[in-house]
Amino acid sequence: MARILFLVIAGVGLTSALSTVLSRNLVRAAVSLAGFFFTVACLFILLEAEFLAALQVLIYVGAVSILLMFGIMLTRGVQGTDLVSGPSAARLPGIVVGLVVFAVLGYAIFEEKGLRTQYSWGALDERTAIARGSKEPGSPLRSAVNNMGKVVGVELMTRYVIAFELAGLLLTAALVGAVAVAHREEDETRSTGSGVPPEKPEPTADKPNP
Amino acid sequence: MTAFAVPTSWIFWAQEQAVELDRGLAVRWGLWLVVGFLAVFPGIVAYMVLLERKAAARFQDRIGPNRVGPLGLLQPIADALKLLTKEDLVPRGADALVHLAAPVLVIVSAFLMLAVIPFAVGMAPVDLPSGVLYLIAASSLSPLGVFLAGWSSRNKYSLLGAMRAVAQLVSYEIPQVLSVIPIVLWGGGLSLVAIFDKQADYGWFIASPPGLLAFLILLVASIAELNRAPFDIPEAESEIVAGFHTEYSGMRFSLFFLAEYLSVFAVGCLATALFLGGGMPIPFARFPLNLLDGSLARLVVVDLILLAVFAAKVFSFVLLMIWIRATLLRLRVDRLMNFAWKYLTPLAIVNILVAGIWYECVIRPGALTLGRWLGGTLVTGPMVAGLVWLAFWVNRREWAGEAAGPGRPSLEGARPDWETPGQTGASPQRAH
Repeated sequence: MARILFLVIAGVGLTSALSTVLSRNLVRAAVSLAGFFFTVACLFILLEAEFLAALQVLIYVGAVSILLMFGIMLTRGVQGTDLVSGPSAARLPGIVVGLVVFAVLGYAIFEEKGLRTQYSWGALDERTAIARGSKEPGSPLRSAVNNMGKVVGVELMTRYVIAFELAGLLLTAALVGAVAVAHREEDETRSTGSGVPPEKPEPTADKPNP
Repeated sequence: MTAFAVPTSWIFWAQEQAVELDRGLAVRWGLWLVVGFLAVFPGIVAYMVLLERKAAARFQDRIGPNRVGPLGLLQPIADALKLLTKEDLVPRGADALVHLAAPVLVIVSAFLMLAVIPFAVGMAPVDLPSGVLYLIAASSLSPLGVFLAGWSSRNKYSLLGAMRAVAQLVSYEIPQVLSVIPIVLWGGGLSLVAIFDKQADYGWFIASPPGLLAFLILLVASIAELNRAPFDIPEAESEIVAGFHTEYSGMRFSLFFLAEYLSVFAVGCLATALFLGGGMPIPFARFPLNLLDGSLARLVVVDLILLAVFAAKVFSFVLLMIWIRATLLRLRVDRLMNFAWKYLTPLAIVNILVAGIWYECVIRPGALTLGRWLGGTLVTGPMVAGLVWLAFWVNRREWAGEAAGPGRPSLEGARPDWETPGQTGASPQRAH
């Protein structure tokens, strides 16, 4: 059952990923990307990490793809042929870079040794399933599966606290920067139009009076 | 080990599933799917539409639909038949595939929200350990569908409506999510069943000053999320025809319609489960739950009580939303955005801190007593009132200071040309 589900989900995911890259219409590519994010969430469900799946949907489908849509809408003519991108000169280098990244990630995943207490991805035969031993109450695996939100929160606040804070700092900086960039234009218009309404009659002066 | 050694057993295939689908669970889920999601919930939604039409008619001194069946009770069936037999139009310039997928996405989002609501004891369709997060994730799917509907229609009104809708949905999602965080804090987990149990022990979560503020924020933000008046500027019929679903007809339009009312119902269930103590009739008593002793008959009786009270609470919530819709006027775009970002979001953030104080005062010490509840209320009540006053005071001051700014629409600009004060003698009305 899980195998068939995995094959179906992986197939849909690969298809949508490919159509993201190959689609010539930007909005359709963004939609395919959202579909791909969704299949990643489905894979998390198969791995019994429904907390991560919900986060994936919330952040990537609900926020990132909406932001993508916003970016497309606000920067280009939305409904014309502007959205269609032709064959790009960077196609071949793009393919090469993609394959190299894939190779590096694959190497890293299969050669990963893990900490002493953790299971390694490389030693697949020794790695127990996430759920094994989860039937006994009180086992850490069981609590990890059943209350993943709590476990993730504790880990974020203890072991990964520095990375967490750094990410927060980065996001805050990005937020402040975005506000600064967006605000400057408005400030300039306001400073030119200093305070009280500027000479109002000017635009109406040349109009004929009834 | 060499690089890329193909493992003998694939990662996913070698894994055992922890959640085993035994026969009973499969039957239960099948029953929920067939009886609940295909029959009961759409039926409820159909009669909610009738209720809204009738109630809005009362508010506007009309009679409302009364022709089909006794008291117009068969009107939903007639409406459904009419929508089914209508022609299904797709504009020629539309992106047909996306045009088809958009309403499906919206209605799936609305249906998914209902999947974790605990209606009564043992009557949650699925008890997810991270149910609240799931709810938020499921509801965050709908802006995507709304945007795609507007974009794929190739219609400027649709696109304008979609842009307004997405801007509004994204803005109001933030206070909506932030207002739920106190509940997660008090409930000690993301599971809605755990939150229900906590409310049995510590009283309804609305019965505390920060809970009340969070509930009000959730109410306002939910109305905005549902595009209902006074936040219905994405579908403002006097400006942009019907907004993002202008180009939809027949059954596809009715999917949007169904999704909207389904979301109203789902938000009612959500507010009831999170803030109003689920199906418990008395705020600080475990009343129907203490009847449980493990026998099936007792369970059925308790569940019936819980279901009836739950339904009554959802009904009142829906009625409140209909009342608001029939009473209030549409907000202007800038005020709409200001309200989300300058009032609701800061209040929701600071409310989390106040909720922490309430947690320390009332929930952490142990069992609920009158003294602790009074103490917590005395500590947090003035804080909440002060925060609300502060938010309004700061915004009013800023608003008053900016009112004379050139960018703001005012009556000055609306004056006709011949009334411009610079031209003396030319304006007959203003000759002093």
